[in-house]
Amino acid sequence: MHKSTLHIAVLESSKIIFEGIQAVLYQSDLDCRIYRLETLDELPELLESKPTDILIVNPVQFVNREKDFRKMRKNFPSLTVAGIDLGMMHKSSITTDITFTLYDSAEHIIHMLSKLNEKSQSIPGEKEGEENLTKRELEVLTGLVNGMLNKEIADSLNISIHTVVRHRKNIAMKTGIRSQSGLTIYAISKKIISIEDIEI
Amino acid sequence: MYYSSRTRVRPYMKMADLIDGNPYLLLMLQHFDIDFRVSDLTVLQLCNRYDLSEHLFVSIANLYTGAITKGEQRFTRNDLLHVIGFLKRSHNYYRFDKYPQISSYIRQLQENHPEKELKLLEKFFNEYFTEVREHLDYEDEIAFPYFITLLGTEQQNNPQEVYSSREYSDHHTDIELKLKDLKNLLLKYVKINDDLNLRRKLFMSLYELEFDLYIHSLIEETILIPSGVDIEREQHA
Repeated sequence: MHKSTLHIAVLESSKIIFEGIQAVLYQSDLDCRIYRLETLDELPELLESKPTDILIVNPVQFVNREKDFRKMRKNFPSLTVAGIDLGMMHKSSITTDITFTLYDSAEHIIHMLSKLNEKSQSIPGEKEGEENLTKRELEVLTGLVNGMLNKEIADSLNISIHTVVRHRKNIAMKTGIRSQSGLTIYAISKKIISIEDIEI
Repeated sequence: MYYSSRTRVRPYMKMADLIDGNPYLLLMLQHFDIDFRVSDLTVLQLCNRYDLSEHLFVSIANLYTGAITKGEQRFTRNDLLHVIGFLKRSHNYYRFDKYPQISSYIRQLQENHPEKELKLLEKFFNEYFTEVREHLDYEDEIAFPYFITLLGTEQQNNPQEVYSSREYSDHHTDIELKLKDLKNLLLKYVKINDDLNLRRKLFMSLYELEFDLYIHSLIEETILIPSGVDIEREQHA
């Protein structure tokens, strides 16, 4: 496994807690860069501009904002989230991947964060340069660029529409191409379909 | 805010120094309809000369430099009218400058390389450009007039039921999405031999466009729409 700099964002309005977390991280073996956010609204811009691996967050920030946050996570699927458990919300909520408390030892917190990072790196299809599509995805792609509807693709491959939609999502994620006309050009470049099949 | 190396724009800074540090600010000046010969003026002096509030100017300038500002202070109606002017002028920049430039690069590329793939790429771009124009027309003809009416001093007794600020915000994401497709196709997939000068110019244009579109939607989402929603709320209260 290659090690690279971890980009960590800390969303915590208390300066004291933020500085404490920062000190724990900087004193550990983790090679990391830390950004501070004071409100949830600052998160999307950070995610757009910096490749952020882990968000450490005070869950109070999510009160009434769960929907917004879930949307952000959808847009940035590689981001993992560690919640700070302040004893107010004891259940690890669905919006965070792990939680730690302010009383955990530094070693424990670092251990959890590095494990979290390993996990996120092993998500298939997330790694760069791996846009190899599976056989099924290729079949769906071929149907798609031939102008077939989801239902027609589903019928011809004997799978559910839901599955077709999932394949389409994966194709978009792996190739970085989302529009149908863009995928047509992709498929030709990759020689998945022949250019003769396409009317210009 | 998060730590970044970029300087935050402040009213006492000299405009010329700021442009030196971030030439993209020229684009912002153009969208504000401010001349590039900024002499020795500070941001504040420049704003006074052009009858702009420095709050608005600094907020938008900081979007361009990447320093996130928090909007505690609200924008006045006059500010918002300036914002609409700004957005309209950036539409013209897309319509008459940036997209035609990209279009001509793609055309040239297509002429230099007979592969059919490039023909498809050109078609992709032309269809995309048409969509963009439709979207820009929609904003100019429907969305902006709506906002201008909303900002009018007389109370509208009958606010157009067909339209609201939130609806506006649903409208634009596709433009950025297809631009990303185009970039990815050129960076990762479509094979073109040599022609690096032309291809670099094309890329630079695409990135410039992408950057300005990004700021454009930030302005719409962080300034125009929230303010519009506030005003609607006041009017309905």
